[in-house]
Amino acid sequence: MLEVNGRPYRLDVADVEPLADVLRERLGLTGTKVACAEGTCGSCTVVVDGRPVLSCLTLAAACDGAEIRTVESDNELLGRLREAFTAQDGFQCGFCTPGQLMSALALLERISDPSREQIVEAMSGNLCRCGAYEGIGAAVAHAAKAGA
Amino acid sequence: MPKLVKTEAVVEGRTEVRWTLVEEDETPEWTEDAPPRVVGEPATRVTASARLTGAARYTSDIRLPGQLEAAVLRSPHAHARLVSIDLAAALAVPGVRAVIGPEDAPELDGEKLLTAEPPYAGAAVAALAADTHAAAEHGITALSAEWEPLGFVTDLDEAFARQDFYEEPSEDVRGDADAALRDADVTIEAEYLAPAQLHNCMETHCAVADVRADGVTLWVSTQAIYQARGDIASLLGIDEERVRVICEYMGGGFGSKFGAGHEGGLAAALSQRAGLPVRLVLSRRDENLTTGYRTPVRFTYKLGASRDGTLQAIEASGVMGMGTGGWAFPILEPAKSVYACPNVHLMTLPMKMNLGACVAFRAPGVMEGTWAFEQALDELAEALDIDPIELRRRNHSENDPHTGRPYTSKRLLECYDRVAELANWDARDELRSDGRIRRGMGVSSQYWWGGGGPPAYAEVRIGKSARPVVTVGVQDLGTGILTACAIVAAERLGVSPGDVIVRGGDTELAGHGPGSGGSMTLASIAPAVRSAGHRVRRQLLDLAADMFEISASDLELVDGEVRSADGTLRRPLTEVTGKLGNAWVTGAGSRAPNPEGMAVNTFGCQIAQVAIDTLTGLVTVEKIFAVHDVGRIVNPMGARSQVMGGILQGVGYAVSEERVVDPTTGTVLNPGLEDYKIPTIADLPEVVCEFVGRPDPHLAVGVKGLGEPPIIPTPGAIGNAIFHATGVRLREAPYTPGRVLEALG
Repeated sequence: MLEVNGRPYRLDVADVEPLADVLRERLGLTGTKVACAEGTCGSCTVVVDGRPVLSCLTLAAACDGAEIRTVESDNELLGRLREAFTAQDGFQCGFCTPGQLMSALALLERISDPSREQIVEAMSGNLCRCGAYEGIGAAVAHAAKAGA
Repeated sequence: MPKLVKTEAVVEGRTEVRWTLVEEDETPEWTEDAPPRVVGEPATRVTASARLTGAARYTSDIRLPGQLEAAVLRSPHAHARLVSIDLAAALAVPGVRAVIGPEDAPELDGEKLLTAEPPYAGAAVAALAADTHAAAEHGITALSAEWEPLGFVTDLDEAFARQDFYEEPSEDVRGDADAALRDADVTIEAEYLAPAQLHNCMETHCAVADVRADGVTLWVSTQAIYQARGDIASLLGIDEERVRVICEYMGGGFGSKFGAGHEGGLAAALSQRAGLPVRLVLSRRDENLTTGYRTPVRFTYKLGASRDGTLQAIEASGVMGMGTGGWAFPILEPAKSVYACPNVHLMTLPMKMNLGACVAFRAPGVMEGTWAFEQALDELAEALDIDPIELRRRNHSENDPHTGRPYTSKRLLECYDRVAELANWDARDELRSDGRIRRGMGVSSQYWWGGGGPPAYAEVRIGKSARPVVTVGVQDLGTGILTACAIVAAERLGVSPGDVIVRGGDTELAGHGPGSGGSMTLASIAPAVRSAGHRVRRQLLDLAADMFEISASDLELVDGEVRSADGTLRRPLTEVTGKLGNAWVTGAGSRAPNPEGMAVNTFGCQIAQVAIDTLTGLVTVEKIFAVHDVGRIVNPMGARSQVMGGILQGVGYAVSEERVVDPTTGTVLNPGLEDYKIPTIADLPEVVCEFVGRPDPHLAVGVKGLGEPPIIPTPGAIGNAIFHATGVRLREAPYTPGRVLEALG
């Protein structure tokens, strides 16, 4: 039993099935991106019970009963983050962006007014080859400020 | 009436002769007195909403009924002969629907996609498609491939020692460099070793092919949908018009994704055999073994100058490791074309090695060539005791130094002045100290092409809601090209860029465009979009003139309104378009050739400030000051992002990125992002970036390209900054802590 973006799903999953595959291949939630499938890039980050997790390394079976949120979810904070990522040009190709948004969401839900160092630490596991980091950092800071 | 015109286009330094269909373009150029609105004002991306909600559909997100998953058997050896393979056993695995072995290899661009004598670790030998990924992997195991390992060369110097050339060495000569070196007041000799850099696009190479009796659809992550269409048509032996290629969203390319690629070719061949759609997505490891790299190069330079700093001679060679394919990048172009120097002798030696084929990577050849040459130039400045920027100024070339052609525009001297001012260059010695942390500043010039050219076509339509629809035959890698097209169309139609709907990345759409590479895209497509927009504008003004009984020449389109010049009439544009019912007002535009006999180039200069921890050897790039001359800036926001991206990839090249090959097995040791270190948000330097910004007077719309320029000077400026900080010249990148500590002694 998984709860994804507020909707319950009753699924039989294999022991070895990663959460990313269940989200993408079985639930059709392809917003979550898999770029390395070995936990090194952060693209597949989703929020599980308030914590950012790498869905490529997380077993779906271990998420029984957990509350999962992906880039397809929505709330006021995520709306603010989307506005800020747009205004600060915090993405280019957009492939790492769902993971960036989920890491940022988890950070701001935990710390509403993070320092620059806290932002860098929380976001440093999310690689962006286009190099949109300046916009990403600014977007997280702006989204936090807009909520204050 | 459209006309066929023969034209020359310069793509990454290679001149191509093309025929192109050109429509007459009556669009007036903007003048200094009446600069454009909208164009040049910052705009957010038209793709923002789709990319930020997960709605954007990338190739690997495609899911078709009955879709199969492909897997590829790849050589574990750097060079081997396939002794045996059991295709029948793989086909007998439940769920496996099609298997292709090397005997039956499909061909793409004259190259077989599967081989029984794999020339590098990772080379594809067999491919299959199955109901599930797991079944496909079982199929690969069932192939029970057996190999006979063969001898291999993966070391650049060893390849050179064997004189095993991939293609004939090439020379560029002007004057008599030998004699000039003998006569020069001051000479230096320098050697630099450039690493192989891996693209590591976040989206790996991938394709979904659906081959049916009535036509083919290929979704592929590509920088060139039309090239991909040609590839698949030729692979399957069908007409190009029967092939549709779609790349709606893509996750980066940086030069590594042109045409259909091996993944597109194999997916199509498997789909044809299985009669079902096939998806092939490369793993990160396969990506880094098989999809190309920036070549490793051993550069040697001999420079000679007069006492006053005037360059008299440049002698250079570059031994580049091409692996098993690709093309010889213009690695000595910076030595040839950036500065005035009467005597030049250059030799490029492309070596064959048991590694995958090299492939273009953002400013291929020119970035690594600039990295090395601009440091050699600094060594000359040191020997002459002349300020490095002053030395560059003294050797400024008014015309292309090799061909003598005049530039359409060149404002490099302005770049030097401004970047030196921004960085406070003259006070740079104040950064230096003898403490544990050493700081310094270094400089590098930037030279690239980027003038664009035909063929490029666009269509603009407007319907009842007055939201223009722009269709272009180009794909958006993530550069923001579609947003730039929206801006250019919006200007003609007096609407805001956010009102424009832009469609691209689909060969079924109107408009045919170039591949996204060589900093060509915007300079190629923007004039076509503007011309198409202008045709729609004229028709709208004629309609409005009839409706409001005012001469069309007295009407303007501004802020979504039709206005008369005297201000008496102000009506919403929808009042005109609302009368169209479901009809469209349509305009097509094309790109005319660039002026003949002129060199079109982009220029710039960057200064890097670095801090070196002498205890740990860690190099931190603290600041980059960047000033580039790339003509008119269409979207300052997108332009800055391009510069940030280029700089960060340059920082990675300089301090952390390097493909490491195991000399005993010939395999790549770091094909994952754990061991191949690309910059993270923690590595972001402070960037001060400006553009000269003035339109190129000889180019339509005044635009030159910006994709490549910002990466070009970054690594060399960092290398020179390390020398300024420490007095030690590092001759091999990346400047890892180990190399730094060793050099510092």
